[in-house]
Amino acid sequence: MNYLIGKGNNRMTEILDDQIASNLYFDKSFNHQAVKLLPGEYYATDKDMLLVTVLGSCVAACIRDCYSGIGGMNHFMLPDGGADAGNPLNASARYGTYAMEILINQLLKLGARRCNLEAKVFGGGNVLDGLTVANVGQRNADFVLKFLQTEKIKVVAQDLVDIFPRKVYFFPRNNKVMVKKLRNTRNITISEREKDYSQRLRKVENGGEIELFS
Amino acid sequence: MAKTILAVDDSASIRQMVTFTLKGAGYEVIEAVDGQDAFDKASHHQINLILTDINMPRMDGLKLLELLRKLAQYKNIPILILTTESSDEIKAKGRAAGATGWLVKPFDPKRLLEVIGKVIG
Repeated sequence: MNYLIGKGNNRMTEILDDQIASNLYFDKSFNHQAVKLLPGEYYATDKDMLLVTVLGSCVAACIRDCYSGIGGMNHFMLPDGGADAGNPLNASARYGTYAMEILINQLLKLGARRCNLEAKVFGGGNVLDGLTVANVGQRNADFVLKFLQTEKIKVVAQDLVDIFPRKVYFFPRNNKVMVKKLRNTRNITISEREKDYSQRLRKVENGGEIELFS
Repeated sequence: MAKTILAVDDSASIRQMVTFTLKGAGYEVIEAVDGQDAFDKASHHQINLILTDINMPRMDGLKLLELLRKLAQYKNIPILILTTESSDEIKAKGRAAGATGWLVKPFDPKRLLEVIGKVIG
């Protein structure tokens, strides 16, 4: 008999289950099969693809095996740590670690080797108004750098914080990244998407499903 | 005497968080970086519970589970899986291989300790 100790609420299950980016298209400008990542999503591939995302205060880690070219990208922000912000086990650290781990796991499943991984990291702009935590972009940037340091994954390029949204194009096969700073854009869509994502993240503090077999 | 938990994960960040949680609750913790490392350490220490990831280099968590269950001293020791994997198929494999329970990341420290308390008292 299975004993289900606790299942995350429906909203959280949705957050944790629907993370593989599904917006695939053919990018005519770059003549590449491409995928667009939205906040909370990740994508890993062993194919010659283009991964694209637009970042406000969120961060994206572009991680690849420097020998095989297997690579992927995520797009995430930390949930509000609230009163528990100083605790190394707070919901922010646990969710951020999770967001990084699911990307790395997917890369390893495709054949990447952990010891060959290197990263390029972007985002964390101070562009999101109305969140309860100040410097949310800086917090996201600090987290991703600290995580990669702990995991001994070398950061070979970064473009973090600042005040502008960014559009990031990542070609994992040849390790090329192009970053376009959206200096003249007041892009309400970016802000609205990140606010919506931030609201959804408030539901993650209870962790994932637990089941005991007996 | 404090009970000893073998915490197995290839992510240093996860090992840090798990160890911090378990030591804070009074458990002794031995860390292992993959299934092979865990199997070696399990052979040389008296372990009361094993908490292992699934996706790891060299030896994954399911293989570790299979090998440990063949050893007399680990036939009845609780082995909990802590993983990002949540599909029914892989859970069924874990259960068939002798897993005691399945915890999907991200983990909540309080709930992790509740489960561990339930299975080893």
